[in-house]
Order: sequence, then C-alpha cells, then structure tokens
Amino acid sequence: MDFPIFHIDFIGNRLLIAVDAILHVLINHAFAIGALPIVVLLEYTGIRHGDPRWDTLAYRLLKVVFIVTTTVGALTGVGIWFSAALVNPAAIGSLIRVFFWGWFVEWIVFVSEVSLIMLYFLSWPNSTESALAKRRHMRFGVMLAAFSWITMAIIVAILGFMMDPGDWHERQSLWAGLFNPMYLPQLAFRTSLAMVMGGMTMMAFGYWFTDRDTTFREGLARTICVWTALWTGLLAITAWWYSSVVPAHMLANIPVAITTQAYTDWLANFKWVLIAGLLFVGWVLTDSLRRPGRLHGGQYVAAALVLCVMLGQFERVREFIRKPFIIGNYMYANGIRVADYPLLRRDGILKHAVYAGVRDIRSDNQTVAGREVFQLTCTRCHTVKGVNGIRAQLVRMYGDQRWNADVIAAYLENMHGARYFMPPFPGNQEELTALAVYLASLQNRAQSYEGVQVTGIPKPDHVAASTHYGSIPDLTHP
Amino acid sequence: MNVPVPRDIPLPLPAPEGLLEVLLIVSFIVHIVFVHMMLGGSLFSLFCQIKGLKQIEYERLAYKIAQAVTVNKSLAVVMGVAPLLIINTLYAPQFYASSALIGGAWMAVIPLVAVAFLLAYAHKFWWDRFVNIPELHIGIAALESALFLFIPLIYMTNVNLMLFPEYWPEVKGFFSAVLLPNVLQRYLHFVSAAILFSALFFAWWSGRPAFQAEVKLSQPLLQSVRRFFYAFAFGATIFQILSGLVVFVSLPAQGMSWGVTLLLFAGGGFGVPALYWMWGNLVNHEIPLDRHFSKIIGLFACTILAMAVARHEYRENALKDHKLAIAQKTANYLAAAADARQEAESAALAQQNEPVDPGEQAFQRNCAACHHINLPTVGPDMGEIHRIYAGDAKGLIRWTQNPGKKRENSMQMPGFPHLSETELQAIADYMLR
Repeated sequence: MDFPIFHIDFIGNRLLIAVDAILHVLINHAFAIGALPIVVLLEYTGIRHGDPRWDTLAYRLLKVVFIVTTTVGALTGVGIWFSAALVNPAAIGSLIRVFFWGWFVEWIVFVSEVSLIMLYFLSWPNSTESALAKRRHMRFGVMLAAFSWITMAIIVAILGFMMDPGDWHERQSLWAGLFNPMYLPQLAFRTSLAMVMGGMTMMAFGYWFTDRDTTFREGLARTICVWTALWTGLLAITAWWYSSVVPAHMLANIPVAITTQAYTDWLANFKWVLIAGLLFVGWVLTDSLRRPGRLHGGQYVAAALVLCVMLGQFERVREFIRKPFIIGNYMYANGIRVADYPLLRRDGILKHAVYAGVRDIRSDNQTVAGREVFQLTCTRCHTVKGVNGIRAQLVRMYGDQRWNADVIAAYLENMHGARYFMPPFPGNQEELTALAVYLASLQNRAQSYEGVQVTGIPKPDHVAASTHYGSIPDLTHP
Repeated sequence: MNVPVPRDIPLPLPAPEGLLEVLLIVSFIVHIVFVHMMLGGSLFSLFCQIKGLKQIEYERLAYKIAQAVTVNKSLAVVMGVAPLLIINTLYAPQFYASSALIGGAWMAVIPLVAVAFLLAYAHKFWWDRFVNIPELHIGIAALESALFLFIPLIYMTNVNLMLFPEYWPEVKGFFSAVLLPNVLQRYLHFVSAAILFSALFFAWWSGRPAFQAEVKLSQPLLQSVRRFFYAFAFGATIFQILSGLVVFVSLPAQGMSWGVTLLLFAGGGFGVPALYWMWGNLVNHEIPLDRHFSKIIGLFACTILAMAVARHEYRENALKDHKLAIAQKTANYLAAAADARQEAESAALAQQNEPVDPGEQAFQRNCAACHHINLPTVGPDMGEIHRIYAGDAKGLIRWTQNPGKKRENSMQMPGFPHLSETELQAIADYMLR
C-alpha cells in the first residue's frame, strides 16, 4: 500500500499485466518449452535416416524459435517484473523476499538457456560437417530443452504459491513456499499443455516450410503428431489432477458473487470450450496420422490458435479465482496485508498512507478525500472510466436513477460477503462514507483517475515525513 | 527531513545485506559490459555501413559487427535480470517509488527493447535482401541505434531518481525527472563508455586470425581497420575522463564522501597510463597494435571495478538516512498493527459471549450487501421482501435457490448453491421475523 500509485485509467492495471504475461506464457509454452524437444526430435530423425532435409527443416524451425524467444519472449518475461512492480509493488516485493533464491537460481538457468540457444543455433551450420559433430551438436539441443523446462518448473512454484501458500504462514521458509499444494499438479498440466502447443505450432510452421504431396511432409506429420498425441493424452489426465487440487473455496465461491451470473454461465461454457478444443486438437492429430501430409496447413494453425485461446482462458480463470487475495490469505488484491486490516479499520488508511494528499475528512472535502480513498483501495483492480471501470459497474447496479451515497455506502460495507472476489473495505467508517460520496459524484462528472506518473505525489506532510506512529510509543528512541 | 518516508516490505531480507550488495556489484558489472557492447556495436555497425557506401570492405565489416551485436544484446538482457532482482530486494521502497513516478516511460522500456531487438535481427538476417535499397537498410540500423541510445536514458533517470527521495514531490513524469541534476551528464559518460568498450572489443576481435578470413580484408586494410577502432577508443577515453569530471562536480552532495571521491579518481586515474600507451600506438606505426593491449584491458578492468564500487558507495551514502528512517517507520508501524490486531481480537472475544442469531449472521454475510433494512440498494429492501413473503418462508427459500429477475433495470440475483437447507431456513426466519 505504501507506494506511489501508478495507474493508467484507460486500460487499467490488470490488463496491462495480463497483456504482457499472457503473451509471455504463450511464447514460453508454444515456442520455448514445447517446440525445442521437437526441433531436437527432427534433428535426431535426420541423423537416423541420413536425410539432410530433416536437418534443414529443424534448423529453420529453430530459427523461428530463436527469433521469437530471444526478442518478445525474453522481453515480456522481464516485462512481468516491470509491470508487476508498477501494478502491485507490495505483492511483487513480498514474493521477491520469499522467493529470492528461487529466482536467483532461475536466473542462472535462464542465462544457461540463452547461452545454449545461441550455441545450438549459431553452431548448427558447422555441425553438419561430420556425423560425430552432429551428435555432439544434438546434445546442446537436449540440454537446451531441459533448461527451458526448468525455468518453468521454478516459476510455476511461485504461481502456485500465490493461489495457495499451504503451510508457509506457519513456517515462512522458501521450501514451504516452493512446495505448495498447487505445485506439482500445475507443473504436470503446464508441461503437457506446452508440449501439445509446441507440437501444433511447429507442425504449422513445418507445413509452411515443406512442399505439397511429398513423402517428406508425410513423415514430418507422422513424427510430430505421434509425439503430440502422446502428450494430449497426458494433458487430459493432468488437467483433471490440477482441477482436483484447486481449493474448494475458490471453486465454490464463483457462483456466490453477485453480478457474476454472466461469469458463471461463461465458466460453464468454458468447460465445453475446453473439451471441444481438446477434441478438435485430438481430431487434427488422429486425422493427420490417418492420412499424413494430406491435411490442410490451416488446420494446424487453427489447432495451435485453439490451444492459445485455451491457455489464455486458463490463465484468466487462475487469476480470477485467486481473489480476493493476491497472495493467498496473506495479502489482498489491493496490496494490503490481512494483518494490517484491524489497524487501518480503526485509524483509517489516510492516516497511514505516506503518499496521500488528505489526512482528515470534513464535510467540505468528502469528495476529494473519497477520491484519495478510491486511489488507495480500488485502483489496483478498477479504473474510473476504462477497463473494469467503476462507473460502468455503478451504472449496471443503479442505472439512471440518481446515485445515492448512502445506498452505495451500505453496499460497500457488506460487498465482500456477496462478492467473494472483493476484498473487504480496509478503511474506517468515515472513509467508507467519503468513498461512497466520491462514487456517487461520478454519475455527473466522471474525471479519469490519473496515476502518479502524470500527477506526481503531494508534498510530504508530518505523516509522510515522520517515522513514528500515533499513540504507539516510538520504538526507535527507547 | 522533508522527505517522504514510506514503509518497507515487512518480510526479512532473503540473505545478509552485504552478500546481496556484492552480488549486485558483480552482476551489474557483467550486465553493463554487455550493454556497452550492444550499444557501441550497434553504433559502429551503422557507422561502418555508411562508410561502406564508398568503400565496400567496410560494409562487410558492418555485417560482421552486426552479428556480434545480436549475441551481445541477448546477454545484456539476461545479465540484467540479476541486478534488477537485487535492486528490487534491497531498495524496494525507493525503486518502486521512482519506477512509478516515471511509470509510462519505464513501462515503455519493454516494447522499445523488443522492437530494437527485432530490428537488429531484421538488419542481420536480411542483410542480402537490401542490396538495392541501402537507404532502407541503413535506416533500420539507424532506428535500432536510436532506440538503443534512448533506452539507457530511461534506466539512468530511474536509478538517479531513486537516490533522491527529496526530489520525488517535484517530479511530474519522465521528462521532468530527466532534467534533475546529474542525469544528462551521467548519460553522456555512459554513452562514451559504450564507445570505448566496444572499440576496444572490436580492436581485439579484428586481431584474431579467423577474422581476416571471415571478412576477407587485405592485410593493410585490416591494420587500418584496427587503427580505426583504436583511434575511437583513444578519443572516447579522453571524453570519459572529461565527462567524468563534469559528473563528479555535479553529483548532489547527499552521497559524497572521501571514499567515493578516492574511488572515482582512482578509477579515472587508471585511464591515464592507458591513454599514454594508446597514443604511443597511434603515432608510431612501427609498434604492433597488440603490444600494450592486455595492460590496457587490465587497467580498464580496474576502472570498471573502482567505478562500480564507487557507484554503490554513493548510493548507500545518499540513501543512508532514508533507509534508517524507513526501518524505524516500518518497525513502529508493525508494532501499531500488532497492537490494533490485539485490540480487535479482544473486542471479538468480548462479543463472543453475547448471544448471536445464526440467521442474522448468515444474512449479514450473504445478503446484506444487496438487501438493506430500508434503503433501496441493489435488490429490494427488507420491507418489500417482508410484504411479499410474510408467512411464506418456503417461498422465500425457493426463490433463493432458484432466483429470477423481477425488475427490468436491475441485476439478476445469483443462486446460492453453497448454502445448506438449514442456513437458508435460518436466513428466511430472520428476514421474515
């Protein structure tokens, strides 16, 4: 909570991080983890058959993987840190303190991964000189595929932790955080999904890079599709395993949420989209095994896109059901620790927020103060007029009848009971009233809320600049 | 101190502070060396390509350099992850604040770097496709270089801003932060260092036996290419020393100390004998270029180390008071939070002894957000519900289990499948009482 608030009112914070993260996950699953084993498989097939066409094709596919992963793939990975630090510094800062050594090891693996992909790619043209050089070269590929998978294996631990930290609350150690209850099922699920996605993506590119009606294309389809079909079977099993460990309160609370009627319908549809998507991928696979090389390339592209959509939807659901927490039972999505609630409810958040411009609420500054409260408690998820805009929510609830601050306040007070994904309001009663007054004022004249990157921060006052806390004796000067 | 004093993340550091600082200095040096080679390489590739319009051999040289750039840029990014992680850990309150204050530009780093990298690949992989349109090819290289030049300015602005919390209230976005004392001076110092390092790197690289065969340069031309890089290294060293002095005099006093001064001058001082040897090589064609090379590299390695340590010392000095104040505030805040938790717990305990109505409790938890005693909130108020369902608890339960939509302009009520029959009964009893 105690950070200057970055905010883009048009796209909102959640979308900012979602665009970056989903792009990263798609590239990571389809091009890094899933594609590299296939490149190695094709290189190996080339050695086995003594046919240079396999080798040429594998090299062309690797070039695609190389360009995509070392530019947009790597950058969106770093971008998750950049955007997370802007969107919710309290959360990412806490995760970094817990998982520092996990990330540090991941960095070493990442350095090895990038070095290996350069080694594997750049030494390819020279590797064709002799059979021995070729076999040695293939080893780089195997190592590269392994390291790519390990980076994911580490990151998945952190993602699982955010959903369900398990017994970390009691032990607070890295190991307790790492082996959270969600870890292994999610890793198994993502691994098989990545392999299927890699298979479909590489098949689409491979189709593009080969000629029509050749036995070579048939062989290619058979090789990639057998590999992918095996993983598709595993994907169905691991998806079931994963869904079985999602904490019951996360699944059960979706229908509780008012106004998520649309969402619950969507969730039910999502299950069918998932099944239909998997069936389509399965059909493409079996069909191309039955008549290899005869399938239209567009079908592979479609299957790859279907998988991308499924992964994107999966990430969305995963993000959504974690709420109201950003770190399970430790920190709410607004960046405020559960443990800080009693203090903030008693004294009010404005009294403790370093970067707030208003400290005391009077009858003449309620709207201004309410806007400050909105900034501190709502803007991590809501905008005023953009994506997930609060104004649109109010229109949905109250339509064009006059918005009444008392009605809104009555709602805010209990909203977390009905909408499970909303954190309870963290401030005191006066702040709740001021927030309601501000929200009601949005009906007539809604000004977008600008973040500190535009407006800057207020001049520090006695609260911002001081080191001690109200009635508590100053611990620093005993 | 009229400075915003935020609270720190209330979790322990994952390692002793000293260890993290050593890791920060070491990983930062590795990162910045690759960044220098990426930027300098991109500029040299562009320069040689333009020169290549008149003298074709320089075009081949530009291609060779472009190949090195794409390797260096990949390493520059991965090596940057470690210092970023450690800065996030050690300086969370300062770093997140300065990042947010220039948030738009800071976030733009990601797409800008991605575009620059894609341009670098387009420049390299499509080299032969641009035979007939050199303007476009050179344009791509120029755009790539311009992006590589601009991105470090954003970084420099951020790491400068995080050092001076006293400036935070004055900053309104990226451009106002660029104009703070010392950013542009440091930036010029950085760019000349990039030229210096890559010039030295290419002077060494072009001396490898394989180089001549790969680029197909004649022996005399190869010598002049190497002297070309050497001359750049010499000029950049002079610029480094001069711009370093400007940076030194414009450094805000907050971080200065005798230790920092000594380290900075020692670092600059290592450049003086290097200059002497480089000059000797440049004026006297008889001396082989490689004669003093390893000594020069050794001296500059000492410079980098001294500068990196000085940089860290300066940061620690500048933030010393702020870090202390933050630690105090965090400790006091945590004590206040614990105090309030205890108070709330005892209040809850006291309440436990009072009799509670399970129906009222479940109502508050599940229904109160939308159904108020007398206000028309999202759903109908209690009075209205009472009028409709008085004496008909069964009807109310049936509605709750399978709700519909009664009003055109309001939202539909969701079902409550997680509530048991008993709970629903209790709620209905409470509502209709």
